[in-house]
Amino acid sequence: MPFIKEIEKYKSLSIVGLEKNTGKTECLNYVLSRLSGSTKQIALTSIGVDGENTDAVTQTHKPEIEVYEGMIFVTSELHYQKKKGVAEVLDVSTQSTSLGRLVTAKAKSSDKVMISGPANNAAIRDLISQMNRFNVDITLVDGALSRKSLGSPAVTDAMILATGAALSANIPQLVYKTNYTYDLISMKAVDEETKERLLPIQKGIWAIDDEENLIDLGIESVLLIEKAKDKLFKKGNRIFVNGAITDKFLNFLKVQKQIKDIEIIIRDFTRVFATPETYYAFIKRGGQIKVLQKTKLIAVCINPVSPDGYCLNSDELKQAMEDKLKLPVYNVRELV
Amino acid sequence: MKLRSAISQVKGLQYIVESLQLQSSLGKRYLLDMPMMYQANEVNTELDLVNFVYSVIGGRKSGLISKIQTKLMQVRDIKGSVKNLKSNSILDDIELFEIKSFALISQEILNLQNEFEVSLIEIPNLNQLISIVDPENNRIPSFYIYDAYSSELASVRKEIKELKASIKLDPEMDLDSSLEALENKSEEIESEVRAQICEKLYLHANDLEKALNQIAHLDVIVAKALLADHMAFTRAQISDSGIEYKAMFHPQIKETLALSKRNFQAIDIKLSQEVCFITGANMAGKTVILKTLALCQYLLQFGFFVPAQSASISLVDRVLVSVGDDQSEQNGLSSFASEMVKINEMVEASFKRENILVLVDELARTTNPTEGRAIVNAVADIFNENQTLSVITTHYSGLNKACRKLRVKGLDKEIKQGEINKNNINDYMDYSLIEDDATKVPHEALRIAGILGINQQIIEKANKNLLN
Repeated sequence: MPFIKEIEKYKSLSIVGLEKNTGKTECLNYVLSRLSGSTKQIALTSIGVDGENTDAVTQTHKPEIEVYEGMIFVTSELHYQKKKGVAEVLDVSTQSTSLGRLVTAKAKSSDKVMISGPANNAAIRDLISQMNRFNVDITLVDGALSRKSLGSPAVTDAMILATGAALSANIPQLVYKTNYTYDLISMKAVDEETKERLLPIQKGIWAIDDEENLIDLGIESVLLIEKAKDKLFKKGNRIFVNGAITDKFLNFLKVQKQIKDIEIIIRDFTRVFATPETYYAFIKRGGQIKVLQKTKLIAVCINPVSPDGYCLNSDELKQAMEDKLKLPVYNVRELV
Repeated sequence: MKLRSAISQVKGLQYIVESLQLQSSLGKRYLLDMPMMYQANEVNTELDLVNFVYSVIGGRKSGLISKIQTKLMQVRDIKGSVKNLKSNSILDDIELFEIKSFALISQEILNLQNEFEVSLIEIPNLNQLISIVDPENNRIPSFYIYDAYSSELASVRKEIKELKASIKLDPEMDLDSSLEALENKSEEIESEVRAQICEKLYLHANDLEKALNQIAHLDVIVAKALLADHMAFTRAQISDSGIEYKAMFHPQIKETLALSKRNFQAIDIKLSQEVCFITGANMAGKTVILKTLALCQYLLQFGFFVPAQSASISLVDRVLVSVGDDQSEQNGLSSFASEMVKINEMVEASFKRENILVLVDELARTTNPTEGRAIVNAVADIFNENQTLSVITTHYSGLNKACRKLRVKGLDKEIKQGEINKNNINDYMDYSLIEDDATKVPHEALRIAGILGINQQIIEKANKNLLN
């Protein structure tokens, strides 16, 4: 498979499922098995809890994650105690997650492990940078695309997306939805200087005026935009939104007469909580959205089988996806 | 009293503790659990240690201090693991890892400390303990049940590996049950090995605990010495009675003034086993003197250097302070009532001839001057009769002649009309203390009020009243 070579170019990679049972874990296991032959030092962790034996939601079989000898993995104390194979403890974190402290260990035998990790962005970023201490070349992050999760896979340099019949059992629909995520991931990033200035801000809505000053607009969230419409454009059309942006917000922006000058800045692509229709309408009218953290999508994995047993025509799906995304697409069921 | 509780009671102590550059959470805990010391030899032992590090700063070996600090930064608080070890329970890999990495750092700090050529603090040698958890002699902070512990374990692990490889090659072969058997066996051996390790480690548990404590203490000592250097504190001599400071200053106010490029005027003060009145104009820093005296006393008795050029201090059993800025209204007492309750406590301790330092700011200021003055003199008499080391600030005239009085110089100089205002008044104020035997106190309230720019009519009317 060619995309392994591509992976080796990045310091960190997340593997993200668009929906449960889209084959994310299979894809991760495949990547791990291929990387096990590599000379690079690999580390593995997760955003929040993952790696349950059976999927807690649908009760379908969920493959565990195979960690190969020599790889480093980070998991919570609780899951570390449950591991079967032999592993050498390298570090124990001072901070604690809901499942105990985080243990960094090096696998001394190849075995299945449950992986859980820090749940917020800053902690994941810290963890990835700390991996330098153990001479790690690539950190793999088992990511989740969930509105409930505080942690976003966008903190990694590169990303592999897992999609499949679980998201939609209709090929054009599936391609459309996947392409929407692809378009979001492809949103432009702001320049480095602006990024460094905005990253530490933790809440609120801010404007950047013509002199590059940051001004807190005093609006708590875009959810309260109804009451603060008058305040929004007081300081110009470049606006940094800390939380999520919604249909309502984009629809409001869309009808403004200066729409072509409006530039919305968000943390990363996971902060768009809008339907594809609204998003595309906003873009078509000339609005712009930029992100602080951009990640590069290097491949898409498809799982033609849905948890309820429905199976799509794999070749047809692969072809349709490749035509639309212009990216390498792999069927996880055929990855060996 | 522990430092932990003193912090909430003594103003200014929090600032000192926060300014300490402690490197480990271990050190922080140790510091907060430090008891207040009442014996000269205890205090001196601690001060000797701080003084040693203090004398190294800036010298030939000062690099060692930062090296030790870097190591201290890596120290984790492994109290829990040590407790489990001492209770003779079997530790898991994570706990063994913690013990091993702590022991390695402790040993490195010990080695660094030996370079001082003077033994600063006794850290137990943990080499034997390390050899138990480091059978391959890697000296790397990582741990698992190494193959080196048991040749049987090594061979079982090898078999598992081979078996897994053959299962991978031919998944059809029914080898799962033999794999499970092997895995069980390896687990069994592992727990045997773990039990043996813990048994051996148990013999070193006391040393380990001691090392943990001593390393924490070292962190505190280094931080105290660096703070003394940074804030220009000095080592106080311990005297049998009385207190004397040369160029005493309040560290927090000094730093705040320094931020706006202004100087804190340090003051000299000498007190003996009697009462001492401090009089002086408003804004003359009387309250600051009391707060600094209290802070210094606590600093010394918690083993810190003190903010002064030199100091000679006698140790006391209690410091009793009434500064009138606490929230006693919440208890339903008026400010006068809550002050009296406090004064009563002081007077009773004085009757018992307890070894205390009493600091009272503007005694009886919230009642009428006639009775107020009477109260001040009465309390002062009691303190004098019982030789209580005490300071009372006051604005009242007609103080007991037999008592010692110090006066803040204040606005002594000739000053032109309009030269001072509320922004620069501090620069004109002379905060130094002089002996004063007058029974009258300075009447500068109206002058200061004028400088502060309050309504001129008040001042004119008040001056008229004074003439009547």
